[in-house]
Amino acid sequence: MQQGNLTALSITIFIILTVVLIGFLAGRDKATRSSVEEWSVGGRRFGGLLVWFLVGADLYTAYTFLGLTSTAYTAGSLAFFAIPYSVLAYFISYFFLPKLWKVANHHKLTTLADYARERFDSKLLSSLIAIVGVLMLIPYICLQLSGIQDTLQVAGTGFINVKVVVITSFVLVALYTFFSGIKGPTYTAIIKDILVWAIMLFMVVSLPIMHFGGWNPMVDKIVNEAPQLLTIPNAGPKGIPWFITASFVSALALFMWAHAATGVFTAKSADAIRKNAMFLPLYNIVLILVVFLGFIAFLVLPKGTDPRFALLSLIQTSYGGVAQGLAYSTIALASLIPCSIMAIGASNLFANNIYRDLINPKVKGAKLTMITRGMVFVVIGLALLFGLVFPQALVSLQLLGVSGMVQIFPAIVISLFWKNQSREATIIGLLVGLAVTFTVYATGTSLGIYEGFWGLMANFSSIVVLNPLFVKKAKASTNSVKNYLFKDKKKKLELVRKGA
Amino acid sequence: MKKLSMILLIVLPFLAQLVVLPFVNRIDPIILGLPFLQFWLFLWIVLTPLCTLGIYQLQKSQGGLE
Repeated sequence: MQQGNLTALSITIFIILTVVLIGFLAGRDKATRSSVEEWSVGGRRFGGLLVWFLVGADLYTAYTFLGLTSTAYTAGSLAFFAIPYSVLAYFISYFFLPKLWKVANHHKLTTLADYARERFDSKLLSSLIAIVGVLMLIPYICLQLSGIQDTLQVAGTGFINVKVVVITSFVLVALYTFFSGIKGPTYTAIIKDILVWAIMLFMVVSLPIMHFGGWNPMVDKIVNEAPQLLTIPNAGPKGIPWFITASFVSALALFMWAHAATGVFTAKSADAIRKNAMFLPLYNIVLILVVFLGFIAFLVLPKGTDPRFALLSLIQTSYGGVAQGLAYSTIALASLIPCSIMAIGASNLFANNIYRDLINPKVKGAKLTMITRGMVFVVIGLALLFGLVFPQALVSLQLLGVSGMVQIFPAIVISLFWKNQSREATIIGLLVGLAVTFTVYATGTSLGIYEGFWGLMANFSSIVVLNPLFVKKAKASTNSVKNYLFKDKKKKLELVRKGA
Repeated sequence: MKKLSMILLIVLPFLAQLVVLPFVNRIDPIILGLPFLQFWLFLWIVLTPLCTLGIYQLQKSQGGLE
């Protein structure tokens, strides 16, 4: 590894430490950790703008920037699948998140698994969802970890022991998350989002000028020298069918992630969520630009550069110390802050839906709050352990994360609209979906379609085919969530009928 | 009429960003400095929020938002 730049390194470390400090200050009011609801979803008091920053901070991570540029570097326009994916994810969310938020708010729920438990009266289902959620989230936290590790490696080679600094920064994040709860990442998310926009725009304007004399000459050069980067292959293991199914399935999966759900539940009203669903697609303008940074890296960097370092090497070869430092700290923050939100999501699932629903149903109040907060150390500790000790073991889980997460979509979203969806069919569907996804992945029989798509199809079909077997029981059973979701509507319909 | 525009606004983003992709998967023409595929994706980053806004307004006018 090339020697780092001392100015860049000092700026990076200074900004990280400042943000950690703000994270602690955000929680100086004791109320932030007084209950699970306060600690994990901020007492549901966040307005539209804060939710925007939080969800933005959540979903646009170091991995987004490093991963997309390296995909663009090696596989060209396949990287653009992230655009329809996240645009459609927000669009779809407009139709179900407000409803989900209302149920969660009315029944004081803090996780998606909580909702499934109350909707279907099933602790089995809620703990299954929690297990899938935690299992898929830990590798995702590891990705953030490798993001900051790579960044510090480029910035600090020759000056610091990268592993020690990585571990220290994650311990600091775990501490402030434990201390401040969701308030920590929310306030720091504002700094991160502003830095992301400023730095990415700066890079997209300056890099084409520095290397090609402007944006249009750069595009001409890509068109002439590497046109294969600009279109999606028509066939092959990852062609257009893969692109379309991957975008669609990932869009359905986005708000099934525990950290995304945590962000959403902080909102103070259903309308704040609607407005966010409306405007969050605009965040993706940044993503298109990021993919172009990958193309620039392809043209500028010497052949044989490790694609994983495409963006970081591009920054290193193009800028002086100060700009390098700001760019590195942006990526480092994009790794630490989402990590904090993810840890909150995973801890919440673990404490509420694995520990309480499965192991110790009597736990509540202060003890449950303490266990939820304490889980942050376990989650981040596990991520550190796996990330540093068995980095290879996690690759499959990371690849399967989205395909696995989307399998809870019928249990969470379809159930908001389908009154007679039965518990049994939903559980079987979830298990079948997971099994099919893993089988397709392990045997490599995806036929050029995204693995999760096959799983989801199997999941849906099982539910539709099996539901009539259990529908009698589902019709007979009632509970407060079901009443809340479906009763009012029935009354309204009757009124309409009477009027007509 | 309202129902039709509602359905249209819901279906359009999916059509544009998934179904028609095989037909917009090309480099020419280059518009606003973006090759056509990238321009198309960029266009729908901007148009999708407008569709959502339209749906929001329609729902509001029907009183379906409480």
